[in-house]
Amino acid sequence: MTNPIPDTELVPAVDQPALDEPAVDEPAGTDGTRAGRATWRAFRRQPLGMISLGVLALLVLMSVAAPLLSAAPASFSVDVLRPPGGDHWFGTDALGREVFAEVVWGARQSLLVAGAASLIAIVVGTLVAVAGAYVPAVDSVVGVVVDLTLSLPVLPLMILVAALAGPSTTTIILVIAAFSWPEVTRLVRSQALSVVHLPYVDAARLMTGRHGWIIGRHVIPAVTPVIVVSVVVTASRAVLSAAGLAFLGLGDPTVWSWGRILYEAQQSGAMVNAWWLTLFPSLAILALVLSATLLSIAYNDARNPRNHDR
Amino acid sequence: MRRPSALPAAAVTALAALALAACAPQAPEEADAPATGGSTAAAAGSDTLTIATTTDVVNYNPLIGNSRSDYWITNLMYPHLLSIADDGSKEPMLATDWGYVDDTTGYYEIRDDFMWSDGEPLTADDVAYTLNAVKRDAPAGTFYGQMGTFEAESAVAVSDTRVEFTLTEPDTSLVEEIGFWGNVVPQHVFEPAGSVAEFANDGSDGGWVSAGPYLLTDVQAGQSYTMERVEPYPLVEGGVPGPETVVYRVLPDVNTEILALQSGEVDAIANALPPAQVEQLRSTEGIEVVEVVGLGYAHMVYNMDNPDLAKTEVRQALAHAADYESIRQVVLQGQAVSTGSSALMPVLADYYDESLTEYEFDPELSRSLMEQAGYTAGPDGMFPVSFRLIYSLQDSVGSQWAQLVQASAAEAGITIELQGTERNTYLAMTNEGDYDIYAGNFAIMDDPVTNFRLSYLPGGAINYTHVDDPELNELIAQAGVTTDEDEKIELMRQAAAIVHEQVYDNIMYTQNLYVAHSSDWTGFISKPSELLSIVNPVSVASARKTDG
Repeated sequence: MTNPIPDTELVPAVDQPALDEPAVDEPAGTDGTRAGRATWRAFRRQPLGMISLGVLALLVLMSVAAPLLSAAPASFSVDVLRPPGGDHWFGTDALGREVFAEVVWGARQSLLVAGAASLIAIVVGTLVAVAGAYVPAVDSVVGVVVDLTLSLPVLPLMILVAALAGPSTTTIILVIAAFSWPEVTRLVRSQALSVVHLPYVDAARLMTGRHGWIIGRHVIPAVTPVIVVSVVVTASRAVLSAAGLAFLGLGDPTVWSWGRILYEAQQSGAMVNAWWLTLFPSLAILALVLSATLLSIAYNDARNPRNHDR
Repeated sequence: MRRPSALPAAAVTALAALALAACAPQAPEEADAPATGGSTAAAAGSDTLTIATTTDVVNYNPLIGNSRSDYWITNLMYPHLLSIADDGSKEPMLATDWGYVDDTTGYYEIRDDFMWSDGEPLTADDVAYTLNAVKRDAPAGTFYGQMGTFEAESAVAVSDTRVEFTLTEPDTSLVEEIGFWGNVVPQHVFEPAGSVAEFANDGSDGGWVSAGPYLLTDVQAGQSYTMERVEPYPLVEGGVPGPETVVYRVLPDVNTEILALQSGEVDAIANALPPAQVEQLRSTEGIEVVEVVGLGYAHMVYNMDNPDLAKTEVRQALAHAADYESIRQVVLQGQAVSTGSSALMPVLADYYDESLTEYEFDPELSRSLMEQAGYTAGPDGMFPVSFRLIYSLQDSVGSQWAQLVQASAAEAGITIELQGTERNTYLAMTNEGDYDIYAGNFAIMDDPVTNFRLSYLPGGAINYTHVDDPELNELIAQAGVTTDEDEKIELMRQAAAIVHEQVYDNIMYTQNLYVAHSSDWTGFISKPSELLSIVNPVSVASARKTDG
C-alpha cells in the first residue's frame, strides 16, 4: 500500500472544524460494538478462557478482600515451621507466620506490581510503536532502539538496576516496566504499520491534519486487540520478574509478595524440608501466569472473525 | 576494621595481664602434646574430605582476607601464632609461649618443628617479617587493624624461635590480639613480591607455599578448591594430617549445602546452620550436628548524631521496646543466651557482671520514657518520631529479628522504618553513619578492653553510636594500661555499667552456632565462632573416617 499523496501535502489546512467532532453514530463504532459482542460470544464458548477469567477474577478479589480473608501476617509466633493442617492451612514459616496470610496479602503486592508495571509498559510501548508506525522518520530510530533493548540481557540488568536503586516497590515497578515496553512496542508496531497504510487512514489524512485525532480515532482502536493481549502477557511476565527479583532479595523487604515468601524460605534455609513454604506461593504464581496466558490465547482466538458465529 | 559475621573486632583477654605481670604465663599443656589438647590421633589415610562453602575465595593473601572462604582456606596454609578456647582465652598454636618482657616489649616463643612445604623451615624470621610488613604496608583487614600500638619495624628475631617487638605505649592486649588474628607468611615468598598489601598470592608463579596442614593445589573458581596434605604438621599426633585431600566445594546456598550433605556429596558444611534447621538435622540419620560456642554478640546501636537519639530517655525507650526473649526463642530457636544487655557476655566468665540485667520488654515504660523526653503521642498512639533501622539482607537472622523489633516498637508508639540492603551497601552506609539504628553482629568479641576501645572511644572503628562520654573514655583508657587483673575487671565493669545505663549499645544475645558433618567422619575439634568452628586447621587435620 503506497500513499499516492506525499506526506508533506497532507499537512494542514489548519482549520477543519467539520471533523473536530466526528459523527457519533459512525459505522466504525457500531461495527466495533458488534465485533465486541461476537468476540465475547466466541470467548464464552472456550472453557479454558472462561476458567482463566474466573481464576484471575478470584485472585483480584482475593487481593482486594485480603483483610477479610486473613489477618495481616503477624511478626512472629511460636509455632515455627508447622506443616499445613487444620490450624495452619498453608503451614507456617521459620518465624511461625501463617503462609496462608502471606500468600493472600502477597497477592496485593504481586498484582500491584503486575498492574502498574504493565500499565507503564503498555502506555510507553504503544505510544512509541504508534509514533513509529505513523511517522516513518521516527520508525527507524524506534526499530533500532527496540531491537537494541530486546537484545540486552534483561535479568542481569534488572538485578543491577534494582540493586543500585535499592529495594522498594517503586523501583521494582519501574525496573520491570523499563524492560517490558520494547516487547509491547514490537508487537503493536507490526500491527500499526499495516493499519497506517490502509485506505481509511489515508482517507482520514486527506480530511484532517490532526494527527493525534487520526491516531486516537483510527490507529489505536485498530491495534487494541494486540494491546489487550500484550497487557495480559506483560502483566504475567511482570509477576514472574517481580517474584524473581524478590527471590534474589531485591524486592521490597517490608511488603509481602509471593517472591518474598520464597526469598525468606531460602534465606532461612528451610526450603529443604518445609515444602509448603515454596509450594503455595509457587502455585499462586502459576495460577496467575497460567490463567493470564490462557486468557490471552482464548481472547486472541475469540476475536478472530473466523471463529465467530457463522 | 572488618565486621559482622566476617572478621570482627577484638582478640585477647585476661591472660594478657597475667602475661605482663608474670612474664611467663599460660600454655600449661604445651610442653610436648599437640597444642590443641584433647585431640584424638588422626589416622593418616588416603581419604578425601569434602567441605561445602557458599563463597569463592577472593584473596589468597591471608594478610588481606575478605570472604569466609578466604579465611578457611588460607588458615590451612598459613598458621596463626595463637588459637582460642571456648572462654575466649588464648591457646598455643605456632607460638608456645608469649607475653611481655617489659611494659613496652612483647615477645613470642615459637615451635621449631614447622616447615614450609618447599622445604624451608618456618622460623622467627618469618614471624618478624610478617609483623613488620603488615605494619609497614597496611593491608586492609583485621590483622592490620589490631596493630595499633605496634611500633613500626620493631619486630626482631632474637633467635630462631623467639621474636621480640616494641610497643609505642603500654598495651596489655596487643600480644594476644595480633597473635590470634594474624597469620604467619613465608618471608622467602612474600618479601620478593613487594608490598604485602598488594601481593595477590594467587599461585600464578608456581603455586603456593604452605606450612600445613594442607596445600592448595587446584582451583576451579566457582566450583572447588582442592588441597593436598602437607607433612609434617606438628599440631596433630604423629605429624600427619588425617585426610589426604581436602576439597572445598562452592555451593549456591545453605539449602543446597544441606541437600548435598544429605546425599553424601559433601562430608561437612563450613557455614553455620540456620537456627530453624538444627533440630531437623540433629534427628537426621547419618548427620552429626556440632555446637560451636559463640564468642560474639548481636546488637542494635542508636546513632547519637540524630538529635532524638541523642536523648538518653529515647534510647532507653527503644531499649525497652524490643522483645528480646521472643527474638531468642523464635528467630534463634533458643540457640542464644542473653548477655544481660551488656558487652561483657556470660561467656567471658571473668568479666561477666550479674548485676547488669537485660532491658525488660515493657511498652508502657517506653511510652513514659518518651513522654519524659518531651514527646506526646498522637491520636493514633504513635509518637512523632521515626527511626530508620539498617540491616544486611545477607544476615538472615538479623533480617528476621529486625521485623520483630519493628513490630514491638510500634506497640510502644515508636515508628521504626526497616532498611535492609545488600551487604556492601550496608557496610558503606554503616561507615558513613547513614542510619538511625544499626543492627548487626560480631563473630568474636573476646577481649573486652579492645572491644570497648573500638566501640565506645571517639573515633573507634566500630563506634557506631558516635558516643563520646568523658567518664567512659577515662575508664577504658585506664583499663588498657592496668596490669592488675582484678582492677582491670573492675574498671571494665564500671564502663559496661555506663554503657548499659546510657544505652550506648544494646547487646541482644550471644548466639551459639551449629555446624553439621557426615557421621562417616569423626575427630573434628570445634572452636569458637563460624570462622574457626570445625574447619579450623587442627580440626580438619584431625578428622578421620569412621570405621565401617
